[in-house]
Amino acid sequence: MIEPKVILEIFIILGVIWTAGCAVVVARSGRAIPLEQLNRAEARLRMGLLGGLGGGAIVIFFLTLHWLPYANTRRAELGSPEVTVGAMGMQWTWILSRHQVPADVPVEFTVTTRDVNHDFAIYDASGRLLTQAQAMPGYTNRLLYAFHAPGTYTVRCLEYCGVGHHMMTASLTVTARPK
Amino acid sequence: MASTALATPRPPETITPLLAPDRANGAVIRAALAYMIVGLGTFLLLGLLGLLMRLDQGGLIVIPAAWFYRIMTLHGAGMVATILLAALGGLAAAVSATTQLKARVLWIALILQIIGTSFVILTTLVGGFGAGWTVLYPLPSHGDIWPLSAAIAMYVGYLFLALGLLVYCVHMLYALARAHGGLTNVLALRYLFSFGRDTRGALPRPPELIAAVISIDGIAAATAGVVYLIPMFAHAAGVTSVNALFAKNAVLLFGHTMANLSIYVTAGLVYAALPIFTGRPWRTTWAVVCAWDLIIILMLANYSHHLYADFAQPLGLQLLAELGSYAVALPSFIVTVVGALTQVYRSGIRWTIAPTLLLLGIWGWVLGGIGAVLDATIPVNQVMHNTMWVPAHFHTYYLLGAVAFAWGYLFYMVRELTGDRDARMLRVAAWLYGIGGAGFVFMLFVAGGNSVPRRYAVHLPQWQVYARVAVPFVILLALGLAWFSWDLGTRFRAAWRGTQGAASEP
Repeated sequence: MIEPKVILEIFIILGVIWTAGCAVVVARSGRAIPLEQLNRAEARLRMGLLGGLGGGAIVIFFLTLHWLPYANTRRAELGSPEVTVGAMGMQWTWILSRHQVPADVPVEFTVTTRDVNHDFAIYDASGRLLTQAQAMPGYTNRLLYAFHAPGTYTVRCLEYCGVGHHMMTASLTVTARPK
Repeated sequence: MASTALATPRPPETITPLLAPDRANGAVIRAALAYMIVGLGTFLLLGLLGLLMRLDQGGLIVIPAAWFYRIMTLHGAGMVATILLAALGGLAAAVSATTQLKARVLWIALILQIIGTSFVILTTLVGGFGAGWTVLYPLPSHGDIWPLSAAIAMYVGYLFLALGLLVYCVHMLYALARAHGGLTNVLALRYLFSFGRDTRGALPRPPELIAAVISIDGIAAATAGVVYLIPMFAHAAGVTSVNALFAKNAVLLFGHTMANLSIYVTAGLVYAALPIFTGRPWRTTWAVVCAWDLIIILMLANYSHHLYADFAQPLGLQLLAELGSYAVALPSFIVTVVGALTQVYRSGIRWTIAPTLLLLGIWGWVLGGIGAVLDATIPVNQVMHNTMWVPAHFHTYYLLGAVAFAWGYLFYMVRELTGDRDARMLRVAAWLYGIGGAGFVFMLFVAGGNSVPRRYAVHLPQWQVYARVAVPFVILLALGLAWFSWDLGTRFRAAWRGTQGAASEP
């Protein structure tokens, strides 16, 4: 699973590199030379960036195919669901068919809504977002997930749904799997 | 007389001044100034609403939830509309010396936009509407605390905004096609598909090419808006229900493209103004033509990265959205950003306020783009979607990108129209703006990296620190903006007079 904080760290690293690049250009903005003298270097830089960034994007795209959050990919990774939890959103509460699931087994959440769009998002006890799926009028979204640590998890709504949106939570307990 | 002068082909390597030789475009420049003043003036007021929301999220003040969401709706809808308005004004000015725009049509489009924005203001502040700027079906009809009439008023406001955009874009496209002997010439398609070998005829200047590109996408966005609004009106009248997935696709094609247009329009302003300060013409090369013609398609293809968590969206569209999001970043970065940095490098530029803000915009645009591309990666989006990461990335490329470009271009316009040199101290205001803006958006990213949800009226105590740290930066930002406003306010009348003495409306 991808950690949100790791994404933040990647962003900071890339941001610092980019900022340093800009600073170099500004520091060397004096002492004018004809633009024509830069044409070849600019073309080389563009081709390098096209190859590097374009190639990198294609590689990342194919890598991400293994971590898609959709049911088929998760089923291939986790196995068929052993527990199913119905999760229906309504302004401004979640109705869960059960509030307790075992750890280390694939759990399928069938996410629906009675009224408007909601987003079924599961947070662990440290406040980290683990996984999510939208609850859409007229549709059932199947979210597969396996909890590895027993404890109390919080379901929050992450799709703005009206004045009680921020209060729309539910609790889910993950118990240790019997040996 | 003006018509002949404007239609004359000119070599693409010249730097075009703001005013045509006989000030034939004075009336258009006045309309453009009105767009920018209305747009950026409203931006300032809406920014204060943003500060209120951050104070509330930091636990420093208490705003009742119903009011928070009304303010949030106004802030979001208003910012998208008014920043685009300022951007469109700048673009009209940027092409007006070589393209015969009609000031009267620009004023009509502006009035339509003002009417639309007024509906948004009234329905949120008076009507109690608080369904968010995305007016995502079916929430506007299920608000509980606002009447259906408030939702309808919001739709009417959006209809006027879409119409205003449509009028502007159709007129811009018509004027460009007329000046260049056809739309294919403005888009330099013959030059593009011959890989730069067919150089018959004058190529468009980059701002003209960009104006054509954004006008095509603007028409597409406005059409998507109307396609969304018609069933919304029907639903409000109790005639029909709407497929939720279709509605979300339509509203995001409209809204996301509107938001994207701002950054691409203002990028066009960089092509127009930066060469004035570097003394280096920005040529219409094959790379520039290819990049911008590609953006016509790519800008429309990436909106659905906001639907990754909607598992009902066909998988092919999800993957296309990821590819499209990567693809749209490439031409922008490789051609426009690298081109801007090449303009500056060893140019001997004097860092007055306008080029400082233009370069700040390049920095912010890319920084926001990094956040956006990360979030457009499906497994990343799975843990970032609808957290503060989302407002983090778009505030970055709005505030430190598009808005910095727009302020920079406005300073350039005022300098050209008044003949004044910008005060050196004004650069301090740009630093205040940059540092304040950077600190503000960085705390949004940090909150997103810590999974803090977006669009929450009440933040848990452990989340409040991110908003609290941001507040001093917002104050720096406000000081910078106040300085900009004061300086421009003292010179605006002279700038307005600088457009006069020209031929009357063409």
